[in-house]
Amino acid sequence: MRGSLCCLLALLSVSCVTGEFAQRTVNEPVDLQLLRQLQVGKDDLGTCLAMLGAPVDAREYDVAADGTSGLALVWFWSRQVGWGLRASWSITREASASFEFDWAGTNMPGCVLWFDHDLKLTNYREGLVGELLPKRTRPSAAASTQ
Amino acid sequence: MIKQLVPGQTTAREVVEKLGGPNEVVQLGRRTAYRYDSSTSKSALFSLLLVTFANQDTRQDRLWVFFDEDNNLTHFGATYGSHRTQYAMPWEDVHEASDNESRDASRAGVGK
Repeated sequence: MRGSLCCLLALLSVSCVTGEFAQRTVNEPVDLQLLRQLQVGKDDLGTCLAMLGAPVDAREYDVAADGTSGLALVWFWSRQVGWGLRASWSITREASASFEFDWAGTNMPGCVLWFDHDLKLTNYREGLVGELLPKRTRPSAAASTQ
Repeated sequence: MIKQLVPGQTTAREVVEKLGGPNEVVQLGRRTAYRYDSSTSKSALFSLLLVTFANQDTRQDRLWVFFDEDNNLTHFGATYGSHRTQYAMPWEDVHEASDNESRDASRAGVGK
């Protein structure tokens, strides 16, 4: 016990360990009232872009044999607030190392809109992006060359 | 520049001539889409011995342009958010509508 305390005091004396209360925000949430006004089968790519603005990502899905495909538009945003630890200490006179630990989660809220081959809205959902995103349908360039 | 984009008339070549190279080109079946974006971050840090309060606000301007298989513009959509970034403390809500409205008003082409 006394040894642990000595180690802790030694660590604190040569380093800077602080608690951190931090907020990190990325992008703005889509207006969910606007999102819920979308009409499946009636709205199309043009009206959705006019209502919601530009998405963060766009992906193809449901690729047909003739090369045509549907389209998925993705919006996501992030607001992480929480306590964490920040530590840094000197290794030499010229260099230092730092360590940061955050409690915040990793998945981000968002929404996905799906359009058919004629760019009519076929579905939309809100939730965690990792659960909503369609799988990529084409292999990556690196994979396709192997 | 974005107001000069006309679906059905503007071509992919003209878009690149006006806006430069896109950040990303996405293949969408026979169609293609170009993404243009620019991000701004503002960070605030307040340290009291063993406790640090930090805030980082990051937002984007984004433009997506969609082309048909003949590289003619069919749709485009833009979002302007980079001017809304704020210096704040972590307990503050940086997405308040009143803050956004005042910042929109001071950006040409965005405010009413």
